[in-house]
Amino acid sequence: MSTVVLISTRLEKALSNFLAFLMAAMVIDVLWQVISRFALADPSSYTEELARFLLMWVGLLGAAYAYRKHSHLSLDLVIKSVSPSNQIRLNRFIQCVTFMFALSVMVFGGYKLMALTLSLKQNSAALGLPMGWVYACIPISGLFICWFAFDNFIHAGSHSENNNNSKV
Amino acid sequence: MDPSILILVVSFTFLLIIGTPVSISIGVSTLLTMLVSIDFIPAVTTTAQRMGGGLNSFSLLAIPFFILSGLLMGQGGIARRLVEFAKVLIGMFPGGLAFVNVISCTLFGAISGSAVAATSAIGSFMIPTMNKEGYDKNFNAAITVASSTTGLLIPPSNILIIYSLASGGVSIAALFVAGYIPGLLMAAFLMVVCAIYARIKKFPVGERPCLKDVALRSWEAIPSLALIFIVIGGIIKGIFTATEASVIAVLYAGFLSLVVYKEIAWGDLKPLLVKAGETTAIVLLLIATSTAMSWILSYENIPQDLSTQLLNLTENPLVILLTINIILLLVGVFMDMTPAVLIFTPILLPVAESLGLSPLHFGIIMIMNLCIGLCTPPVGSVLFVGCSVAKTSIGALIKPLLPMYAAMIFALLLVIFIPALSEFLPEFFGLYEVP
Repeated sequence: MSTVVLISTRLEKALSNFLAFLMAAMVIDVLWQVISRFALADPSSYTEELARFLLMWVGLLGAAYAYRKHSHLSLDLVIKSVSPSNQIRLNRFIQCVTFMFALSVMVFGGYKLMALTLSLKQNSAALGLPMGWVYACIPISGLFICWFAFDNFIHAGSHSENNNNSKV
Repeated sequence: MDPSILILVVSFTFLLIIGTPVSISIGVSTLLTMLVSIDFIPAVTTTAQRMGGGLNSFSLLAIPFFILSGLLMGQGGIARRLVEFAKVLIGMFPGGLAFVNVISCTLFGAISGSAVAATSAIGSFMIPTMNKEGYDKNFNAAITVASSTTGLLIPPSNILIIYSLASGGVSIAALFVAGYIPGLLMAAFLMVVCAIYARIKKFPVGERPCLKDVALRSWEAIPSLALIFIVIGGIIKGIFTATEASVIAVLYAGFLSLVVYKEIAWGDLKPLLVKAGETTAIVLLLIATSTAMSWILSYENIPQDLSTQLLNLTENPLVILLTINIILLLVGVFMDMTPAVLIFTPILLPVAESLGLSPLHFGIIMIMNLCIGLCTPPVGSVLFVGCSVAKTSIGALIKPLLPMYAAMIFALLLVIFIPALSEFLPEFFGLYEVP
């Protein structure tokens, strides 16, 4: 197994573990909010905010995981109807576009956003968490997507693309 | 044409056609459009900020929970019990299994809040059963695909939550209740199509079940059906919010499948959580990038311009209304539901309102249009899943789907022209006041 494949497999494993943890935490958090409101008649003020932040992390890190799994929705009519060599070219182009987007908007823009909110000392209302750290999921997810796009690019020709990108 | 809108449309269409993931296409075309009038650093920072901000919403939390509860129900035996229940009720009529399929998809979509979950959960054992009994394979897949979209109208529904967000605060509870009649109407019309098919193709008749069976199956379905009453009753009565209801659905479905039915082992929970997280993220990334796209659209005043142009097209309100619907149907054919709702609501809602439609009524019309789009190629997530479950090709499904499109469009027309179909129930429960 080449180093790139090995790193990708490790990253994928780590992402899936973290995703399961975030989902479980979200369920417990909102469950606690319901219990605290009904049973204890003392609604917790932290759980709502924490749940929103967890959702942001699930959304962005999960997006990186879904990218690795080729499960983002896409139109495959054109790419399926061209010759295999053009398929590889087209696929490489798509990986480049995704790489550039993840690098510029998610990694660079997300980092700028993080730095800006940290320098303004913006803290969340209930938990008092620095918002910059909440936004950290954007550049982190961007880095993952960049790596997976790079992996897809160099392996575009080596194996037939497993086409489960229509699965939702 | 405005250069920025030209860049947006051309880059988006190009990326989409060559097979770039939809969410990435939206993000890239948004960034390119921004770069026309904004410098690079503020443009990327703003896009990142809108993406993060778009997800920072408590209402959206219902989405992962409804997806997770749908997965638990599909694998934990709840979906199967609903099918068995529908089977003893109507399985003995000619083409009975087709009716069972429609009712199961509608019921299951109603509980799990996801059309895709309904297609894969119901389809994975309904389609093989129907194949075995001698039904036409492509028809089986087509009816599963078409009827599972009715679950999108019947609450709980993730897409109605997204519409509530995009429309700037139509109440989720009101939208949920509003979806019932149109959803059931669509299911009823699809069953008419099944009945006609059954007669022409001489579909087999199922055995008449004995009374003991009927009682047993109904008894077994009660815990699953109770979920609808808990979740929807709680939302309508204002006992809890949609998000709170969704987490209760997870708890309830988890309890049934892990403790009572024991069809899911505790060890299976982790892959289910990962699957739910992955599916959620696909929707959330679409929401994130679509939020950024609607920001640049409104920054460039595009929704207002388009609305004005639409209204200037003709004096006849009927023509405008039909134009809106044709636009929505076309959008639904080429675009996934989530971005379509987020991007087109700000453009079309003002037009609809100036024609005298309430935001609630328009929301239901919009979702119905896009439901039809979900089962049309080239982009239809439900269609893809239906084909992969039934192991058939999209092309083969088109013929049996055609009469179903007609049935759905007929239901849509009724809902468009009779506002009471969507407005009566929410008004009755005091959730909505027609302006």
